[in-house]
Amino acid sequence: MTSYYGIPGAAPFWHWTTLVHFLLVALAGGFSFYTAILGLKDESAGRRLAWWALLFIVLDLLMLWAESPARFRFSHVWLFLSFRPAAAIWWGAWGLSISALMLLLVGLQIGRARTWFGILAVTSTIVLLYPGYAVAANAARPLWDHLLLAVFPATALLLSLALLIAWRGEEALGWLQTLSWVSLVLVLLYPVALASGGAEQARALALLLRRGLWFAVGAALILLAALLVKKQPALAAACAFAGAVLVRSWIVEEGQHSFFAHGF
Amino acid sequence: MARYAMVIDLEACVGCGACAAACVLENEVPPGHNRLWIRQRELGSFPDLTVEYRPEQCLHCENPPCVPACPTGASYKTEDGLVLVKYERCIACGACIAACPYDARFMNPAGYVDKCTFCEHRIKNGQDPACVETCPTGCRVFGDLDDPESPVRIFLEEAERIDVLRPEMGTSPKLLYVNTPSKRGLAAEEVEL
Repeated sequence: MTSYYGIPGAAPFWHWTTLVHFLLVALAGGFSFYTAILGLKDESAGRRLAWWALLFIVLDLLMLWAESPARFRFSHVWLFLSFRPAAAIWWGAWGLSISALMLLLVGLQIGRARTWFGILAVTSTIVLLYPGYAVAANAARPLWDHLLLAVFPATALLLSLALLIAWRGEEALGWLQTLSWVSLVLVLLYPVALASGGAEQARALALLLRRGLWFAVGAALILLAALLVKKQPALAAACAFAGAVLVRSWIVEEGQHSFFAHGF
Repeated sequence: MARYAMVIDLEACVGCGACAAACVLENEVPPGHNRLWIRQRELGSFPDLTVEYRPEQCLHCENPPCVPACPTGASYKTEDGLVLVKYERCIACGACIAACPYDARFMNPAGYVDKCTFCEHRIKNGQDPACVETCPTGCRVFGDLDDPESPVRIFLEEAERIDVLRPEMGTSPKLLYVNTPSKRGLAAEEVEL
């Protein structure tokens, strides 16, 4: 039996607000990326989507600020006064800021839109990638496997596209199906990746099998989305959105779990 | 330039908690949090039983994973090898808490990440950290690893075996344990100092 005098810092450090951030940043990155791709093909189509992408970025930044215990110390300015390329959140801060600027320039029709769409394609990719990097970089948290570098951008694109279905309709259905299958394969590979790891990953897998109900529900919803796209597009989009949100939220929430037991 | 480290003799630790109390008082640690704590573990089975009291805190790693994870440079390593937090730069994102393999960091309600500093303010004045000064059994020894005259260096040279927490993480901690009850009788592992 293990007991303590005093309290180790093993409590969850991210709360439900962080889960909302992981949803909003997926929408911000996904919408920005689609805006860039659409804009490079057809400027007016990209411009129409730009305001929505900007809205999600603003909502995400507001959420981050509101949930931060440091919100009234204004220390966030240091994100832009430091050079920290090893830190995922540093990339996220720059990716979101430059994306917001590009979207504003596109929306207000200032300068060469094609150039802004090109830059946006790069910065939105950074926004799509950094949440996965932020979790996968932590060797101390075995549930946050390196595979999340792929799972997070794929599910971000999926849930953004699921919302876009309401906007673009039929045109995006083929992509929704493709992204659903890609996301599903990655989600199913996740337990396989844990199983192929060491002792800590084995404990993480045991936790997934024991407490992974919502993860399984998320995976099942993504499967439903892939199967229903052609027959019931609206329902498929709803399943894809809910499934991607559930999978991401479960991984973020449960991944904080400390596996530090004895140490030696 | 020093390379500060702390050694804890687990055979001498009686788990009294004086170090944890001294730390709270010295550093005004907020209620509900601790910069250091004591893990108590029962070992063996009746009648061959023992209890291991193991104080834990920030290990001031040579390769601290919390430092590169920090997006603002708030977490940093000093020339003396201390891993510290510039509170005014911290955005409380939690990235360093996630990166720490030892659960050594916590979110201070004042809005920044907090942890053991090896009482840097005391070291500057030539004093030992509060936990070292307070320990009634003298199980904690603090000093400069690079100084052959340092008590920590002398203590380690006499030790039969040195253990660190989670050596597989490759962090090269500078909180070292000797006379570990759970390791008694096992062959000593090489620990690079």
